[in-house]
Amino acid sequence: MSTDTLVVEELSVALSGTNIISDVSVSVDSGELLGVVGPNGAGKTTLLRAIQCILPPTTGSVTVEGQPVERLSARQRGRLIASVPQETRLSFSFTVEQAVAMGRNPHIGRFGTADNTDHQAVQSALKRTQLTDFADRPVTELSGGERQRVLLARAFAQNAPLLLLDEPTANLDINHAINTLELVRTAVENGTAAVAAIHDLDVAARYCDRLLLIANGKLLAVGPPASVLTSQRLEAAFDVKTVISEDPTTHSPRVTALSSKETDES
Amino acid sequence: MDVRQRAVGWSLWLAALLAAVITLSAGIGPVSIQPSVVIKSLLNNVAIPVGFDLTSRVVGGVLQLPTPGVRWHSPFAYSVDATHETIVMRVRLPRILLAALVGFSLAAAGTVMQGFFRNPMADPSIIGVSSGAAAGAVAFLVVPVAIPFGLGLQGAAFAGALLAAFAVYAIATEGGRTPVATLLLAGIAIQAFLGSVISYLQLRSGEGLRQVVHWLMGHLGNATWDDVAVTVVIVPLLFGVLLAYGRDLNVLLLGEEAASGLGVEVERTKRILLAASAVITAAAVAVSGVIGFVGLIVPHMVRLVVGPDHRVLLPAAALAGASFLVLTDTVARAGATEVPVGIVTAALGAPFFLYLLRSREVDEL
Repeated sequence: MSTDTLVVEELSVALSGTNIISDVSVSVDSGELLGVVGPNGAGKTTLLRAIQCILPPTTGSVTVEGQPVERLSARQRGRLIASVPQETRLSFSFTVEQAVAMGRNPHIGRFGTADNTDHQAVQSALKRTQLTDFADRPVTELSGGERQRVLLARAFAQNAPLLLLDEPTANLDINHAINTLELVRTAVENGTAAVAAIHDLDVAARYCDRLLLIANGKLLAVGPPASVLTSQRLEAAFDVKTVISEDPTTHSPRVTALSSKETDES
Repeated sequence: MDVRQRAVGWSLWLAALLAAVITLSAGIGPVSIQPSVVIKSLLNNVAIPVGFDLTSRVVGGVLQLPTPGVRWHSPFAYSVDATHETIVMRVRLPRILLAALVGFSLAAAGTVMQGFFRNPMADPSIIGVSSGAAAGAVAFLVVPVAIPFGLGLQGAAFAGALLAAFAVYAIATEGGRTPVATLLLAGIAIQAFLGSVISYLQLRSGEGLRQVVHWLMGHLGNATWDDVAVTVVIVPLLFGVLLAYGRDLNVLLLGEEAASGLGVEVERTKRILLAASAVITAAAVAVSGVIGFVGLIVPHMVRLVVGPDHRVLLPAAALAGASFLVLTDTVARAGATEVPVGIVTAALGAPFFLYLLRSREVDEL
């Protein structure tokens, strides 16, 4: 029995007969951020959805804190897994606080109302994401970056041991992107296990403890960023020649993709 | 402020408004009666149960149920003109209470459907309930032989409503999942189909055409205490179910995948919300005919005032819907010749809604 927070074993997911994910095994411990990287359509989002059991696995299993996710009720799942979607409808004019408080839904019974623990979780999530001053603003009036923070705060309020993030920085400018990842990093340092699908390889290498490289639904490599991001593996995954260097400021690996012209020259 | 406090606060305020509207409405008509006389008449008919016994009773002309009979004691005995008391208790009050119950049901179901479909154009009839009821009722009026089991007019309408809703649900469901968009389109298709059935029956109706048109326009005339009795049992029960799912409705507004991640059993919740809204709408439409607009605009008006949280919105909208329909039905019957209430709801409701649209920022629908 493994003690890791998330254990994915030989997971395969098929949609209308075609395998989207084949035979992926990985585990993530508390205090660890796993980055899922790979080309468009590789199965990054599908992997996250399969972990939540939104897409039931064809074969294999997902356990969170030793519990098989497939057999859990939605409420039990909501207490174990918090998810930050790529985009969400926040169109109705709920206030920021109301939207964040929805993260407490799995903790409150059908006929119950929010108690002190719930209020504290919401206030602390607002504070961590610097949204306290926005608490009474309608979410419809926020900018894209602020809305992303609301989603993150909602996930924090869920107080779940596992945090899933689907492209948390895709629509953000560099300032908001770094800010978001620092918040995730803090949560991870405080003991959360996190899995994030991240498009940008440099950002992934800088913030993640380990990377999982996936292409065509198959796992190509798992390990520390420097060991996963090699020219050879990236060519296999992305079908492009790359040069790996070290970023002089952050000392994390930096990937430069080469155009076919540049490849000929080198 | 705490959600429960806000819900109770708004509900009490709107319940008081409803009581006032009912009292005033009971005094309006060909014979004008003072509100104080209305209140005394009501109090004279207050009865306190003092004992129980079981009898067999026919409910709604459909079911034979053993009903607990109650022996009553009346604590009040004001001296009131007997004619006035009869007018209030026998003629006006059944109709007013029925209007309140129908308005309550339609506004509640409309609120739930707008949240469920995440669509401001949704109303209680969106899954074919009203068309089904209309088809059932018109079939009863035009070709009574087509209605089995000796169902009455209201029974036929109720059965038609549930049949149509179930058909829409069954068509839109595949492998245990009911996508909202498919449900919406299936509802539109079934409504169109039933519309053609109703039109054909109208063509064939001959002598009965006047009665058919009257039913289709929505009406509350000739209401009896029996009509009220059936509705008063069904409506609060189902409203309780809807209310219990208020928080889930809020979370469902974020989209089904997000809701599932936040602890909502999405498909089960959708089934329960659909079934409860369909039955509560069917109970209303069966006794009143098709009264449009209440279920569409009342939820919007109330949402503008109390916000989108369904735990507050749902009871507030339902109570406001009750007041709204009592008011419009009072207008409908107060004139020299009575008009179907459906005409009045639209004629009064639409301008008021447009006023709200223009005078407040409406970006949250």
